[in-house]
Amino acid sequence: MPTTVTMPRLSDTMEAGTVIKWHVKEGDTVASGDVLADVETDKATMEMQTYDDGVVAKLLIGAGDRVAIGTPIAVIAVDGEDASSASGANPAAASSAPAAPAPAETPVVVTGTVVMPSAHADNGARARISPVARRMAEELGVDINSLRGSGPGGRVIKRDIESAAARTSGGTAPASMMPVVAASAPAAAPSLPVVAGPGAREVAVSGMRQTIARRLVESKSTIPHYQVSMRFNMDPLLELRKMLNAQLEPQGVKLSVNDFIVRSCALAMAQHPYFNASWAGDRIIIHGEVNVGVAVSLPAERGGGLVVAVIRNADQKGLRQISLDTRALAEKARTRGLGPEDMMGATFTISNLGMYGVDNFTAIINPPNSAILACGAAVERPVVRGGQLCVGTELDATLSLDHRVIDGAMAAEYLTTVRHNLENPATLLV
Amino acid sequence: MSTVTVIDPTMSATREIEFRDALREAMTQEMRRDPRVFLLGEEVAQYNGAYKVSKGMLDEFGPRRIIDTPISESGFAGMAIGAAMMGLRPIVEFMSWSFSLVAADPILNNAPKMLYMSGGQFGCPIVFRGNDGAGGQLGSTHSWCVEGLFSNVPGLKMVIPSCPEDAKGLMTTAIRDDDPVFFLESERMLGMKGHVPEGDYLVPFGQAKVRREGTDCTLVSFGRPVNFCLDAAAELAKEGISCEVLDMRTIRPLDIDSIVRSVRKTNYCVVVDQSWSFGSPGSEVASQLHQHCFDDLDNFVHRVHSADVPTPYAFNLEQEYLPNARRICEAVRSCLYRA
Repeated sequence: MPTTVTMPRLSDTMEAGTVIKWHVKEGDTVASGDVLADVETDKATMEMQTYDDGVVAKLLIGAGDRVAIGTPIAVIAVDGEDASSASGANPAAASSAPAAPAPAETPVVVTGTVVMPSAHADNGARARISPVARRMAEELGVDINSLRGSGPGGRVIKRDIESAAARTSGGTAPASMMPVVAASAPAAAPSLPVVAGPGAREVAVSGMRQTIARRLVESKSTIPHYQVSMRFNMDPLLELRKMLNAQLEPQGVKLSVNDFIVRSCALAMAQHPYFNASWAGDRIIIHGEVNVGVAVSLPAERGGGLVVAVIRNADQKGLRQISLDTRALAEKARTRGLGPEDMMGATFTISNLGMYGVDNFTAIINPPNSAILACGAAVERPVVRGGQLCVGTELDATLSLDHRVIDGAMAAEYLTTVRHNLENPATLLV
Repeated sequence: MSTVTVIDPTMSATREIEFRDALREAMTQEMRRDPRVFLLGEEVAQYNGAYKVSKGMLDEFGPRRIIDTPISESGFAGMAIGAAMMGLRPIVEFMSWSFSLVAADPILNNAPKMLYMSGGQFGCPIVFRGNDGAGGQLGSTHSWCVEGLFSNVPGLKMVIPSCPEDAKGLMTTAIRDDDPVFFLESERMLGMKGHVPEGDYLVPFGQAKVRREGTDCTLVSFGRPVNFCLDAAAELAKEGISCEVLDMRTIRPLDIDSIVRSVRKTNYCVVVDQSWSFGSPGSEVASQLHQHCFDDLDNFVHRVHSADVPTPYAFNLEQEYLPNARRICEAVRSCLYRA
C-alpha cells in the first residue's frame, strides 16, 4: 500500500505550510530520514523528512503551493506499487483543502533539520512517545499531536506532557481556571533574523524557556497593561512578625514578609472580586476560588527560569498555613520540580524581589490573571509621620493590571485595602 | 523452602561485626542447632579458612564436621552433593567461585536437577559459598562473577548479600533451605563492618530491601554493587535527583514485585549488576520490567554492568571495568534525559 505524505505540523501554532522547494522528483528512490522538501511555516522554514522507504510516486502540489496541515502532498510507493491506490492521492481532492490565512509576521529562516517535528507523523508513522507519557497524555487530556518531544529523536517524554499540561492548565482544571486567552500568539521570534557574531555563544532553549517566552509575549502583546504603585508603612507588620516568629520558633514556623503580603492580597479579594478575575473575550469570569500564584525562581543547576507555584484558597488559609505551603512548594520547585497540579489555576500572582534588595519593579501579568503585584524590599527611609521627620520602614508595591477588567480607580481602591491590611497587621491574624 | 521467621533487627540486640564474622556466626549457630550441618573446603579447618571465615570452627566442632579437602573442587563438591542426597546438610566453601568452574558438572548438572530427575526421591539441601567477582587485581581467571552463568539454571537458589546483617540472615536461611543455594560473597566486603542481630536471625529469600528511598529513579542491584549504588545516590542527590536503591538480596527467587512497585512510582529504572551484560540477571530484570511496567516507563530500562571484556589486571582498568558510582551516575542522568 503506497503511503500518502501529508503537510506535517511543524510547530505548535502552524495551521498551513508552503512547500518552498522539493528536494525530490517523481521516480526518485528515498529512504527514511531523507529530506523531501523545505516547508515554510508561520515561524520558520524547515526541512521535511520522509519516514518511509520507497519511490516518490507522485508530487501532489508544486513548489510555492500553500496547503493546510494534513493535506496530502506526495505519495511514496514501494517498487511496483500503484500510486493511485494511496488515500488522498487525487490532486483535485488535495487542492480543495482549505488554505489558511497568510502569516502575520515575517518568517524567520531557520537552518538545520527538524528531525521529529511532532509526536505524530501525519503520514501514518507511529508516534514516538514513551509509554508513561502516552498514558499521562490520556489521563491529563493532552493532545500529543501538538507536542514536540524533547527526548531523543523527538520522543515525547514525561516532562513534555507535564509542561504541556501546566501550559494549558490541562483537562483536569475547572473550566473557570482554563486560560481564556487563546494560545495562538506567535512565539517570541524576532522580526529580523538574529545573526551570531564573532565570539557569540548559542544556548539551547529549554522547554520552560520556550513556555516563558510564549506566555509572556502573549501576555504583553495582547493584554493592555498599566501600572499603579503604592508605598506601605511596614513598621507595625515587622514588629508583629518579629514577635510571632520568636513565639513560633519552637514549632519550626518562620513567617516571611511575603506570607503577610499573600494573605493581605487574598483577603482583599472579598471586597475587590475583579482582582480575582479573567478576561474571556466577551465576558469577564470572576473566579470562585482565590488561588494566589507565587513566582519562584529556579537555581541554575535546575536550568534556571521561573515557575509560578499556587497557594490554593489562600483567602481561607492562615499565615502559618500560607507559610508552610509556600515553603513546601518553593522547596519542591527547586529540588524535584513542580507537578502540573502545583502550577495550575492561579487567579492572581505575586512576584517578590525584595529578598534581592530591589526597591521596586513592574511585572508582566500571568495569563489568564488580571493583575500581578510586584513587591520590592522593606527598607528604612526618612519618613514624615505626624509632622515629624523620622526613620521608618517602607515597602513599594506595583500592580500591573489588565485594563479590560480593572480601571485605575479600582486599582487604587484595591491597593488601599491591601495597605490597610498590611499597616494594621493584627487583622491578618483573624 | 522451610518456614522462616523474620526478626526485626531493630528489636533484638545488635553489635558491630565484620561480614566474615556474620557468616561464621550463622554457620556456627546452625551447626550447634542441627548435627546434620557440616563445612568442607580447601583450608577451612587447620588454616582457619583462606579468608578466616571459618576461624575457630575446627576447635569447636572437630575434624568430622570441619573438613579440609584436597584441591579438587569437582571431587569434594560431588561428594557433598551425595551427602546432601542422603540427608546431611553440607556447606561447601569454594575459595573463589572462579574455582567452582571445574566443578560445573556436579553443581549445575546434578545438584539443581536432583529433585526433578529423581521424581522427588532425592533432594539436595546444600549451600555452596565463596568469593565472587573482582577481588582486586586477581586477574581475569580469578575474578569471575557467576551470577549470569549460574542463575540461568532452574532448581537452584542464588543469594548475594551486600552487608553484614544480610550475610547472617541470608546464610541462616540458606542452611535451613531444602534446595541447593548458591551463596555469593565478595572478598572486598569480608572486612565490612555493620550492625548484626545476635541469636537466631533469618532474612527470607525473595524479599528485596529498600536501602534508600527516592522518587526520581529506581536503582536495582544486588551484592557489592548495592554499595556503589548508595554512593551514586548520594552524589545524585546533590544534583536534585532522588534515587531509590533496591537491594534484591536474592537473584533466584527474584522479587520483581518490589521492583515494579518502585518503578510505578519513579517511571525510570537503572539496573546495576557486576556480571557481564549479555544474558545476565540485569537483562532478566529489564525484560521482566518491560513486561510488567511497560506503561509506567518513560525510558527503556538502563543497565550498568562490568565491561564486556575479561577482567583487567591493572588497578585503574579494573576500577573502570566495574559498575562504579560514576558510571551509575551517568546511566541515571541518561535514563532521566538529563545527560
